Amino acid sequence: MPLSTIAATLLRGFGTTCLIFIITLALAAPLGLVVSFGSMSRFAPLRILTRAFVWIIRGSPLMLQMIIIYYGPGLLWSGTALPRFSATITAFTINYAAYFSEIYRGGIEGVPRGQYEAGLVLGMTKTQIFFKITLLQVVKRILPPMSNEIITLVKDTSLARIIAVREIIMEAYSFMAKGLISPLFYAGVFYLIFNGVLQVIFGKAEKKLAYFR
Amino acid sequence: MAILEVTGLNKSFSGTAVLSDVGFSLEKGESLAIIGSSGSGKTTLLRCLNFLELPDSGKISVAGETVFDSSDRSAVPERELRRRRLHFGLVFQSFNLFPQYTALENVTLAGRLLARENPGYPRRRAELFAEIDENARALLDSVGLISKLGAYPHELSGGQQQRVAIARALALSPDILCFDEPTSALDPELTGEVLRVIRSLASSHTTMVIVTHEMQFAREVSDKVIFIDGGAIVERGAPEDVFGNPRHERTKRFLERYSG
Repeated sequence: MPLSTIAATLLRGFGTTCLIFIITLALAAPLGLVVSFGSMSRFAPLRILTRAFVWIIRGSPLMLQMIIIYYGPGLLWSGTALPRFSATITAFTINYAAYFSEIYRGGIEGVPRGQYEAGLVLGMTKTQIFFKITLLQVVKRILPPMSNEIITLVKDTSLARIIAVREIIMEAYSFMAKGLISPLFYAGVFYLIFNGVLQVIFGKAEKKLAYFR
Repeated sequence: MAILEVTGLNKSFSGTAVLSDVGFSLEKGESLAIIGSSGSGKTTLLRCLNFLELPDSGKISVAGETVFDSSDRSAVPERELRRRRLHFGLVFQSFNLFPQYTALENVTLAGRLLARENPGYPRRRAELFAEIDENARALLDSVGLISKLGAYPHELSGGQQQRVAIARALALSPDILCFDEPTSALDPELTGEVLRVIRSLASSHTTMVIVTHEMQFAREVSDKVIFIDGGAIVERGAPEDVFGNPRHERTKRFLERYSG
Protein backbone atom coordinates (compact mmCIF):
# COMPACT_ATOMS: atom_id res chain seq x y z
CA MET A 1 0.00 0.00 0.00
CA PRO A 2 1.42 3.41 -0.94
CA LEU A 3 2.58 5.53 1.95
CA SER A 4 0.58 8.48 0.62
CA THR A 5 -2.69 6.57 1.18
CA ILE A 6 -1.71 5.79 4.73
CA ALA A 7 -0.66 9.38 5.34
CA ALA A 8 -3.87 10.80 3.90
CA THR A 9 -6.02 8.45 6.00
CA LEU A 10 -4.08 9.18 9.18
CA LEU A 11 -4.19 12.93 8.55
CA ARG A 12 -7.96 12.77 8.14
CA GLY A 13 -8.20 10.91 11.43
CA PHE A 14 -5.87 13.38 13.06
CA GLY A 15 -8.13 16.21 11.87
CA THR A 16 -11.03 14.60 13.74
CA THR A 17 -8.83 14.10 16.80
CA CYS A 18 -7.86 17.78 16.76
CA LEU A 19 -11.48 18.82 16.33
CA ILE A 20 -12.61 16.78 19.36
CA PHE A 21 -9.73 18.23 21.36
CA ILE A 22 -10.29 21.87 20.45
CA ILE A 23 -14.08 21.89 20.79
CA THR A 24 -13.97 20.02 24.11
CA LEU A 25 -11.37 22.41 25.49
CA ALA A 26 -13.26 25.48 24.31
CA LEU A 27 -16.52 24.29 25.92
CA ALA A 28 -15.26 22.51 29.03
CA ALA A 29 -12.90 25.27 30.20
CA PRO A 30 -15.65 27.87 30.79
CA LEU A 31 -18.24 25.27 31.83
CA GLY A 32 -15.79 23.99 34.45
CA LEU A 33 -15.68 27.48 35.97
CA VAL A 34 -19.46 27.49 36.33
CA VAL A 35 -19.32 24.03 37.93
CA SER A 36 -16.56 25.16 40.32
CA PHE A 37 -18.69 28.12 41.45
CA GLY A 38 -21.50 25.63 42.08
CA SER A 39 -19.28 23.41 44.19
CA MET A 40 -18.10 26.41 46.23
CA SER A 41 -21.59 27.87 46.63
CA ARG A 42 -22.75 28.90 50.07
CA PHE A 43 -26.20 27.60 49.11
CA ALA A 44 -25.95 24.04 50.42
CA PRO A 45 -28.38 22.25 48.03
CA LEU A 46 -26.56 23.62 44.99
CA ARG A 47 -23.17 22.75 46.49
CA ILE A 48 -24.19 19.20 47.35
CA LEU A 49 -25.82 18.65 43.96
CA THR A 50 -22.77 19.95 42.11
CA ARG A 51 -20.39 17.85 44.14
CA ALA A 52 -22.52 14.76 43.54
CA PHE A 53 -22.42 15.51 39.82
CA VAL A 54 -18.62 15.84 39.93
CA TRP A 55 -18.37 12.59 41.86
CA ILE A 56 -20.46 10.68 39.31
CA ILE A 57 -18.62 12.09 36.32
CA ARG A 58 -15.14 11.63 37.74
CA GLY A 59 -15.99 8.35 39.37
CA SER A 60 -17.16 6.51 36.25
CA PRO A 61 -15.34 5.75 33.01
CA LEU A 62 -15.56 8.28 30.22
CA MET A 63 -16.13 5.34 27.88
CA LEU A 64 -19.28 4.40 29.78
CA GLN A 65 -20.50 8.00 29.72
CA MET A 66 -20.07 8.09 25.94
CA ILE A 67 -22.01 4.87 25.51
CA ILE A 68 -24.84 6.17 27.69
CA ILE A 69 -25.03 9.50 25.90
CA TYR A 70 -24.93 7.88 22.46
CA TYR A 71 -27.12 4.82 22.97
CA GLY A 72 -29.12 5.98 26.00
CA PRO A 73 -31.82 8.05 24.28
CA GLY A 74 -32.66 5.23 21.86
CA LEU A 75 -32.65 2.45 24.45
CA LEU A 76 -34.21 4.25 27.39
CA TRP A 77 -37.07 6.21 25.89
CA SER A 78 -36.83 5.43 22.18
CA GLY A 79 -35.58 8.92 21.51
CA THR A 80 -33.35 9.77 18.60
CA ALA A 81 -29.68 9.42 19.21
CA LEU A 82 -27.36 12.37 18.85
CA PRO A 83 -25.05 12.19 15.84
CA ARG A 84 -21.84 10.33 16.76
CA PHE A 85 -19.66 13.40 16.75
CA SER A 86 -22.05 15.50 18.84
CA ALA A 87 -22.43 12.68 21.34
CA THR A 88 -18.66 12.51 21.65
CA ILE A 89 -18.35 16.25 22.22
CA THR A 90 -21.18 16.20 24.77
CA ALA A 91 -19.63 13.39 26.79
CA PHE A 92 -16.14 14.86 26.63
CA THR A 93 -17.30 18.35 27.57
CA ILE A 94 -19.25 17.14 30.61
CA ASN A 95 -16.41 14.89 31.70
CA TYR A 96 -13.68 17.47 31.35
CA ALA A 97 -15.75 20.25 32.87
CA ALA A 98 -15.97 18.12 36.02
CA TYR A 99 -12.20 17.63 36.13
CA PHE A 100 -11.44 21.26 35.33
CA SER A 101 -13.89 22.44 37.99
CA GLU A 102 -11.93 20.68 40.69
CA ILE A 103 -8.69 22.21 39.45
CA TYR A 104 -10.27 25.67 39.43
CA ARG A 105 -11.71 25.14 42.90
CA GLY A 106 -8.31 24.17 44.24
CA GLY A 107 -6.77 27.23 42.57
CA ILE A 108 -9.36 29.67 43.86
CA GLU A 109 -9.43 28.27 47.39
CA GLY A 110 -5.64 28.30 47.41
CA VAL A 111 -5.44 32.09 47.19
CA PRO A 112 -5.10 33.30 50.78
CA ARG A 113 -8.16 35.06 52.15
CA GLY A 114 -5.90 37.93 53.19
CA GLN A 115 -5.53 38.90 49.54
CA TYR A 116 -9.27 39.43 49.28
CA GLU A 117 -9.39 41.29 52.58
CA ALA A 118 -6.47 43.52 51.61
CA GLY A 119 -8.42 44.46 48.48
CA LEU A 120 -11.55 45.18 50.52
CA VAL A 121 -9.86 47.48 53.02
CA LEU A 122 -8.32 49.37 50.10
CA GLY A 123 -11.83 50.16 48.87
CA MET A 124 -11.88 47.83 45.88
CA THR A 125 -15.05 46.26 44.56
CA LYS A 126 -15.43 42.47 44.48
CA THR A 127 -15.08 42.53 40.71
CA GLN A 128 -11.88 44.55 40.89
CA ILE A 129 -10.49 42.18 43.50
CA PHE A 130 -11.26 39.19 41.29
CA PHE A 131 -9.76 40.60 38.10
CA LYS A 132 -6.90 42.66 39.50
CA ILE A 133 -5.74 40.46 42.37
CA THR A 134 -7.14 36.93 42.48
CA LEU A 135 -7.30 35.89 38.83
CA LEU A 136 -3.60 35.90 37.95
CA GLN A 137 -2.73 34.10 41.18
CA VAL A 138 -5.32 31.45 40.33
CA VAL A 139 -3.98 31.08 36.78
CA LYS A 140 -0.47 30.59 38.12
CA ARG A 141 -1.66 27.94 40.55
CA ILE A 142 -3.74 25.95 38.10
CA LEU A 143 -1.32 25.96 35.19
CA PRO A 144 0.58 22.76 36.11
CA PRO A 145 -2.52 20.63 36.86
CA MET A 146 -4.30 22.05 33.82
CA SER A 147 -1.44 21.14 31.49
CA ASN A 148 -1.59 17.61 32.90
CA GLU A 149 -5.31 17.36 32.31
CA ILE A 150 -5.14 18.84 28.82
CA ILE A 151 -2.45 16.40 27.76
CA THR A 152 -4.66 13.60 29.05
CA LEU A 153 -7.49 15.00 26.94
CA VAL A 154 -5.39 14.70 23.79
CA LYS A 155 -4.98 10.98 24.44
CA ASP A 156 -8.55 10.47 25.64
CA THR A 157 -9.87 11.56 22.22
CA SER A 158 -9.02 8.02 21.08
CA LEU A 159 -11.99 6.79 23.12
CA ALA A 160 -14.27 8.27 20.46
CA ARG A 161 -13.80 5.15 18.35
CA ILE A 162 -16.06 3.30 20.83
CA ILE A 163 -19.00 4.94 19.06
CA ALA A 164 -17.27 4.77 15.66
CA VAL A 165 -16.03 8.33 15.37
CA ARG A 166 -13.15 7.97 12.95
CA GLU A 167 -10.35 9.60 14.87
CA ILE A 168 -6.71 8.75 14.23
CA ILE A 169 -6.47 5.50 16.23
CA MET A 170 -9.53 4.09 14.52
CA GLU A 171 -8.12 4.97 11.11
CA ALA A 172 -4.76 3.46 11.97
CA TYR A 173 -6.40 0.36 13.36
CA SER A 174 -8.31 -0.17 10.11
CA PHE A 175 -4.99 -1.03 8.44
CA MET A 176 -4.55 -3.95 10.83
CA ALA A 177 -7.15 -5.91 8.84
CA LYS A 178 -4.81 -5.55 5.85
CA GLY A 179 -1.91 -6.84 7.90
CA LEU A 180 -0.29 -3.45 8.48
CA ILE A 181 0.73 -2.50 12.00
CA SER A 182 3.02 0.44 11.18
CA PRO A 183 0.17 3.03 10.91
CA LEU A 184 -0.50 2.56 14.63
CA PHE A 185 3.08 3.60 15.33
CA TYR A 186 2.73 6.58 13.02
CA ALA A 187 -0.42 7.53 14.94
CA GLY A 188 1.62 7.40 18.12
CA VAL A 189 4.04 9.87 16.59
CA PHE A 190 1.18 12.30 15.89
CA TYR A 191 0.24 12.21 19.60
CA LEU A 192 3.83 12.74 20.66
CA ILE A 193 4.24 15.77 18.42
CA PHE A 194 0.91 17.26 19.50
CA ASN A 195 1.69 16.82 23.18
CA GLY A 196 5.23 18.03 22.64
CA VAL A 197 3.86 21.30 21.28
CA LEU A 198 1.45 21.61 24.22
CA GLN A 199 4.25 20.95 26.67
CA VAL A 200 6.33 23.75 25.15
CA ILE A 201 3.38 26.17 25.26
CA PHE A 202 2.61 25.38 28.90
CA GLY A 203 6.27 25.57 29.81
CA LYS A 204 6.44 29.07 28.33
CA ALA A 205 3.30 30.16 30.15
CA GLU A 206 4.63 28.89 33.47
CA LYS A 207 7.89 30.67 32.88
CA LYS A 208 6.05 33.86 32.08
CA LEU A 209 4.32 33.73 35.46
CA ALA A 210 7.46 32.80 37.35
CA TYR A 211 8.21 36.45 38.10
CA PHE A 212 6.06 36.33 41.23
CA ARG A 213 5.41 33.82 43.97
CA MET B 1 -14.94 66.30 68.51
CA ALA B 2 -13.45 62.84 68.65
CA ILE B 3 -12.28 61.48 65.30
CA LEU B 4 -13.31 57.96 66.30
CA GLU B 5 -16.13 57.05 68.63
CA VAL B 6 -16.96 53.43 69.33
CA THR B 7 -19.86 52.56 71.63
CA GLY B 8 -21.35 49.32 72.91
CA LEU B 9 -19.67 47.03 70.40
CA ASN B 10 -20.65 43.37 70.73
CA LYS B 11 -19.64 40.47 68.58
CA SER B 12 -19.94 36.75 69.04
CA PHE B 13 -18.96 33.82 66.86
CA SER B 14 -21.34 30.88 67.02
CA GLY B 15 -22.48 31.69 70.51
CA THR B 16 -19.12 32.66 72.01
CA ALA B 17 -18.81 36.33 72.89
CA VAL B 18 -15.62 37.75 71.40
CA LEU B 19 -16.33 41.40 72.11
CA SER B 20 -18.62 42.57 74.86
CA ASP B 21 -19.69 46.15 75.23
CA VAL B 22 -16.48 47.66 73.90
CA GLY B 23 -16.42 51.43 73.71
CA PHE B 24 -13.70 54.05 73.41
CA SER B 25 -12.92 57.28 71.65
CA LEU B 26 -9.89 58.71 70.00
CA GLU B 27 -8.92 62.29 69.20
CA LYS B 28 -7.38 63.30 65.90
CA GLY B 29 -3.61 62.84 65.93
CA GLU B 30 -3.66 60.45 68.88
CA SER B 31 -2.48 56.90 68.85
CA LEU B 32 -4.19 54.18 70.78
CA ALA B 33 -2.47 50.94 71.73
CA ILE B 34 -4.61 47.90 72.33
CA ILE B 35 -2.94 45.19 74.38
CA GLY B 36 -4.14 41.84 75.64
CA SER B 37 -3.37 38.16 75.28
CA SER B 38 -4.03 36.17 72.12
CA GLY B 39 -7.69 35.43 71.62
CA SER B 40 -8.79 38.37 73.79
CA GLY B 41 -10.67 40.00 70.91
CA LYS B 42 -8.15 42.67 69.86
CA THR B 43 -7.97 41.57 66.25
CA THR B 44 -11.74 41.16 66.01
CA LEU B 45 -12.11 44.73 67.22
CA LEU B 46 -9.84 45.99 64.43
CA ARG B 47 -11.66 43.85 61.88
CA CYS B 48 -14.96 45.36 63.00
CA LEU B 49 -13.56 48.87 62.49
CA ASN B 50 -12.53 47.89 58.96
CA PHE B 51 -15.87 46.21 58.20
CA LEU B 52 -14.22 42.83 57.73
CA GLU B 53 -16.53 41.61 60.48
CA LEU B 54 -20.02 42.89 61.15
CA PRO B 55 -20.59 43.68 64.84
CA ASP B 56 -23.76 42.20 66.33
CA SER B 57 -24.53 45.49 67.98
CA GLY B 58 -23.00 48.85 68.67
CA LYS B 59 -22.13 52.06 66.93
CA ILE B 60 -19.03 53.41 65.21
CA SER B 61 -18.67 57.00 64.11
CA VAL B 62 -15.84 58.83 62.44
CA ALA B 63 -15.59 62.61 62.85
CA GLY B 64 -19.27 62.74 63.80
CA GLU B 65 -20.43 60.66 60.84
CA THR B 66 -22.04 57.37 61.81
CA VAL B 67 -20.38 54.66 59.75
CA PHE B 68 -21.95 51.73 61.54
CA ASP B 69 -25.07 51.56 63.66
CA SER B 70 -26.62 48.21 64.49
CA SER B 71 -29.98 49.84 65.27
CA ASP B 72 -30.21 51.11 61.71
CA ARG B 73 -31.38 48.09 59.74
CA SER B 74 -31.43 49.72 56.30
CA ALA B 75 -29.07 48.10 53.84
CA VAL B 76 -25.97 50.08 52.94
CA PRO B 77 -25.20 50.06 49.20
CA GLU B 78 -21.79 48.64 48.30
CA ARG B 79 -20.50 51.93 46.98
CA GLU B 80 -21.33 53.67 50.24
CA LEU B 81 -19.81 50.84 52.27
CA ARG B 82 -16.58 51.19 50.30
CA ARG B 83 -16.54 54.93 50.91
CA ARG B 84 -16.98 54.41 54.67
CA ARG B 85 -14.29 51.79 54.68
CA LEU B 86 -11.81 54.31 53.35
CA HIS B 87 -11.96 56.21 56.65
CA PHE B 88 -9.80 53.36 57.92
CA GLY B 89 -6.57 51.85 56.74
CA LEU B 90 -5.39 48.45 57.90
CA VAL B 91 -1.92 46.97 58.10
CA PHE B 92 -2.16 43.20 58.47
CA GLN B 93 -0.02 40.94 60.58
CA SER B 94 0.90 38.92 57.48
CA PHE B 95 1.38 41.97 55.18
CA ASN B 96 -0.92 40.61 52.43
CA LEU B 97 0.93 42.39 49.66
CA PHE B 98 -0.22 41.47 46.16
CA PRO B 99 2.51 39.12 44.91
CA GLN B 100 2.11 39.87 41.21
CA TYR B 101 2.72 43.60 41.64
CA THR B 102 5.90 45.52 42.40
CA ALA B 103 6.26 47.55 45.58
CA LEU B 104 5.26 50.70 43.69
CA GLU B 105 2.28 49.00 42.00
CA ASN B 106 1.10 47.64 45.35
CA VAL B 107 0.94 51.21 46.61
CA THR B 108 -0.68 52.72 43.50
CA LEU B 109 -3.18 49.98 42.55
CA ALA B 110 -6.09 50.98 44.79
CA GLY B 111 -5.62 54.68 44.07
CA ARG B 112 -5.65 54.09 40.34
CA LEU B 113 -8.84 52.04 40.60
CA LEU B 114 -10.49 54.72 42.72
CA ALA B 115 -9.44 57.38 40.24
CA ARG B 116 -11.84 55.81 37.76
CA GLU B 117 -14.69 57.07 39.90
CA ASN B 118 -13.37 60.60 39.60
CA PRO B 119 -15.80 62.63 37.45
CA GLY B 120 -13.04 63.85 35.13
CA TYR B 121 -11.50 60.39 34.84
CA PRO B 122 -10.96 59.46 31.21
CA ARG B 123 -9.89 62.98 30.33
CA ARG B 124 -7.61 63.59 33.32
CA ARG B 125 -6.36 60.02 33.56
CA ALA B 126 -2.69 60.77 32.89
CA GLU B 127 -2.67 63.66 35.33
CA LEU B 128 -4.43 61.67 38.10
CA PHE B 129 -2.12 58.69 37.66
CA ALA B 130 0.93 60.93 37.78
CA GLU B 131 -0.26 62.38 41.09
CA ILE B 132 -0.90 58.91 42.51
CA ASP B 133 2.52 57.78 41.36
CA GLU B 134 4.28 60.74 42.85
CA ASN B 135 2.48 60.30 46.16
CA ALA B 136 3.36 56.58 46.21
CA ARG B 137 7.03 57.28 45.53
CA ALA B 138 7.11 59.84 48.33
CA LEU B 139 5.51 57.35 50.72
CA LEU B 140 7.90 54.55 49.80
CA ASP B 141 10.74 57.01 50.24
CA SER B 142 9.46 57.92 53.69
CA VAL B 143 9.49 54.26 54.76
CA GLY B 144 13.03 53.92 53.42
CA LEU B 145 12.27 51.89 50.30
CA ILE B 146 12.90 54.28 47.42
CA SER B 147 15.49 51.84 46.05
CA LYS B 148 12.94 48.99 46.02
CA LEU B 149 10.19 50.51 43.88
CA GLY B 150 10.45 47.81 41.23
CA ALA B 151 10.92 44.85 43.57
CA TYR B 152 8.28 42.14 43.87
CA PRO B 153 7.15 41.13 47.37
CA HIS B 154 9.02 37.82 47.31
CA GLU B 155 12.24 39.73 46.68
CA LEU B 156 11.76 41.75 49.87
CA SER B 157 12.42 40.82 53.48
CA GLY B 158 9.48 40.62 55.88
CA GLY B 159 10.32 44.01 57.35
CA GLN B 160 10.49 45.57 53.91
CA GLN B 161 7.20 43.96 52.92
CA GLN B 162 5.53 45.33 56.01
CA ARG B 163 6.88 48.80 55.25
CA VAL B 164 5.43 48.58 51.73
CA ALA B 165 2.13 47.53 53.33
CA ILE B 166 2.23 50.62 55.55
CA ALA B 167 2.88 52.84 52.53
CA ARG B 168 0.02 51.11 50.70
CA ALA B 169 -2.37 51.82 53.57
CA LEU B 170 -1.22 55.44 53.83
CA ALA B 171 -1.64 56.02 50.09
CA LEU B 172 -5.40 56.39 50.45
CA SER B 173 -4.94 58.91 53.31
CA PRO B 174 -7.19 57.16 55.81
CA ASP B 175 -8.43 59.15 58.82
CA ILE B 176 -7.42 56.33 61.11
CA LEU B 177 -4.65 53.84 60.42
CA CYS B 178 -5.00 50.46 62.11
CA PHE B 179 -2.20 48.00 62.77
CA ASP B 180 -2.92 44.37 63.55
CA GLU B 181 0.16 43.05 65.35
CA PRO B 182 2.39 44.51 62.63
CA THR B 183 5.57 42.84 63.87
CA SER B 184 4.26 39.45 65.02
CA ALA B 185 5.12 37.71 61.76
CA LEU B 186 8.64 39.16 61.63
CA ASP B 187 11.97 37.80 62.73
CA PRO B 188 13.05 39.66 65.88
CA GLU B 189 15.87 41.48 64.08
CA LEU B 190 13.39 42.92 61.58
CA THR B 191 10.85 44.36 64.01
CA GLY B 192 12.98 47.46 64.65
CA GLU B 193 12.66 48.89 61.15
CA VAL B 194 8.87 48.54 61.19
CA LEU B 195 8.50 49.98 64.67
CA ARG B 196 10.69 52.91 63.62
CA VAL B 197 8.28 53.72 60.78
CA ILE B 198 5.26 53.56 63.11
CA ARG B 199 7.07 55.72 65.66
CA SER B 200 7.72 58.38 63.04
CA LEU B 201 4.05 58.27 62.05
CA ALA B 202 3.13 58.84 65.68
CA SER B 203 5.47 61.80 65.94
CA SER B 204 3.85 63.33 62.87
CA HIS B 205 0.46 62.85 64.56
CA THR B 206 -1.08 60.20 62.37
CA THR B 207 -4.21 58.91 64.07
CA MET B 208 -3.56 55.25 64.78
CA VAL B 209 -5.03 52.23 66.48
CA ILE B 210 -2.27 49.71 67.15
CA VAL B 211 -2.82 46.15 68.31
CA THR B 212 0.53 44.94 69.53
CA HIS B 213 2.44 42.54 71.73
CA GLU B 214 5.43 44.89 71.91
CA MET B 215 4.78 46.38 75.35
CA GLN B 216 7.78 48.68 75.44
CA PHE B 217 6.84 50.03 72.03
CA ALA B 218 3.19 50.49 73.03
CA ARG B 219 4.26 52.42 76.07
CA GLU B 220 6.51 54.76 74.07
CA VAL B 221 4.34 55.40 71.08
CA SER B 222 0.78 55.61 72.38
CA ASP B 223 -1.23 58.41 73.90
CA LYS B 224 -3.81 56.00 75.26
CA VAL B 225 -3.74 52.32 76.13
CA ILE B 226 -6.58 49.83 76.35
CA PHE B 227 -6.14 46.42 77.94
CA ILE B 228 -8.64 43.88 76.67
CA ASP B 229 -9.29 40.55 78.30
CA GLY B 230 -12.01 38.08 77.36
CA GLY B 231 -13.47 40.53 74.86
CA ALA B 232 -14.03 43.35 77.35
CA ILE B 233 -12.00 46.42 78.18
CA VAL B 234 -10.51 45.82 81.62
CA GLU B 235 -8.36 48.89 81.95
CA ARG B 236 -7.73 52.06 80.02
CA GLY B 237 -5.70 55.19 80.46
CA ALA B 238 -2.46 56.97 79.73
CA PRO B 239 0.46 54.62 79.06
CA GLU B 240 2.29 55.73 82.21
CA ASP B 241 -0.71 54.71 84.29
CA VAL B 242 -1.61 51.43 82.62
CA PHE B 243 1.96 50.21 82.40
CA GLY B 244 3.40 51.96 85.45
CA ASN B 245 0.57 51.63 87.86
CA PRO B 246 -2.09 49.17 86.71
CA ARG B 247 -5.17 49.12 88.91
CA HIS B 248 -6.63 45.77 87.97
CA GLU B 249 -5.32 42.41 89.01
CA ARG B 250 -5.75 41.00 85.50
CA THR B 251 -3.73 43.83 83.95
CA LYS B 252 -0.96 43.32 86.49
CA ARG B 253 -0.79 39.61 85.79
CA PHE B 254 -0.76 40.18 82.05
CA LEU B 255 2.01 42.78 82.24
CA GLU B 256 4.09 40.63 84.54
CA ARG B 257 3.95 37.81 82.07
CA TYR B 258 5.12 40.11 79.29
CA SER B 259 7.89 41.85 81.17
CA GLY B 260 9.18 38.51 82.45
